Amino acid sequence: MSHFRQTVECWQCGHPAEHSLFCRYCDSLQRPTADYFRFFGLEPRLKIDAANLEKRFYELSRLLHPDRYLRKSPTEQQYSLEATAILNDAYRVLRNPVARAEYVLRQAGVESLEPRARTLDPALLAEVFELNEALEEFRGGDRSVRPALEQARERFLAQRGEIDAGLESLFERYDESRAPNVLAEIRKLLDRRKYVQNLIEQLDRELATESTDAATSD
Amino acid sequence: MAYSDKVLDHYNNPRNVGSLDKNDPRVGTGMVGAPECGDVMKLQILVDEETGVIADAKFKTFGCGSAIASSSLATEWVKGKTLDEALKIKNTEIVNELALPPVKIHCSVLAEDAIKAAIEDYKRKRAAREALAGKAS
Repeated sequence: MSHFRQTVECWQCGHPAEHSLFCRYCDSLQRPTADYFRFFGLEPRLKIDAANLEKRFYELSRLLHPDRYLRKSPTEQQYSLEATAILNDAYRVLRNPVARAEYVLRQAGVESLEPRARTLDPALLAEVFELNEALEEFRGGDRSVRPALEQARERFLAQRGEIDAGLESLFERYDESRAPNVLAEIRKLLDRRKYVQNLIEQLDRELATESTDAATSD
Repeated sequence: MAYSDKVLDHYNNPRNVGSLDKNDPRVGTGMVGAPECGDVMKLQILVDEETGVIADAKFKTFGCGSAIASSSLATEWVKGKTLDEALKIKNTEIVNELALPPVKIHCSVLAEDAIKAAIEDYKRKRAAREALAGKAS
């Protein structure tokens, strides 16, 4: 993979270090890469083995822990701090499929779509509009809309499930083809997911405040 | 964020809030939304069939102050215009009138798109009706 091939020399012994965390010759810790996949020694794929990632995370956490470098050179002490920080960020991003896809898209330079109207389908818009109207009544004290809000929440959860299934199959297609148009489709689905996710969170907040109100007013 | 006086004015006293009967053949309904911020905007026009002039307009917007002000202004501006004149309203005019900052330009884009969507909807309904009338005769 060209991804791994750039030559970098070990800061300690001068042998080629090949972007691995440790020098193969003198075993000293190298300046850590900021590329999350490379950091974990993984190919940049959208579908990854979660169990393997977790295993690598615990291994690396041990290997890179600053306590292990207390008696080493200041350079390695510094690298271990940097590496530990990158490790935690990289793990948080890579283990979450949505964050991972956002990361791959950002690396590939695929930006979020313009917030231009009509990128959303009319059926979803109409649903969101009705939902907002129901929420307005709900905030105004009309409790009778609560079942409708709960149903809406269920529908949006189901939609999020469909989106996630769609993402899953697009991830596979991208890993096989590396086609830019697949990335564009992923971008669209991620934007839609963000929208649906916002609605779910909004509903959760509103429904939660209402039940606390009811609990305290009794 | 500081809103301009004009935005505040439209926000505090929105013009033409409400809705028209979307099943009325003279009414065109435009529904638009921005996926990022979650704003949704409904803008409706009532067209005078004799003159082709927009006789009334209503809106309802769920979103930030700038989105509400942009759609409120849009309903004011389309009233009394022909469909072709209304189609010429540009989001940049809304930006200038309301002194919207760059991060709120998308609100004016939504309002422009809402006008266009309402007009399209009206024209679609009219065309469908004419096709039906043609078949009947």
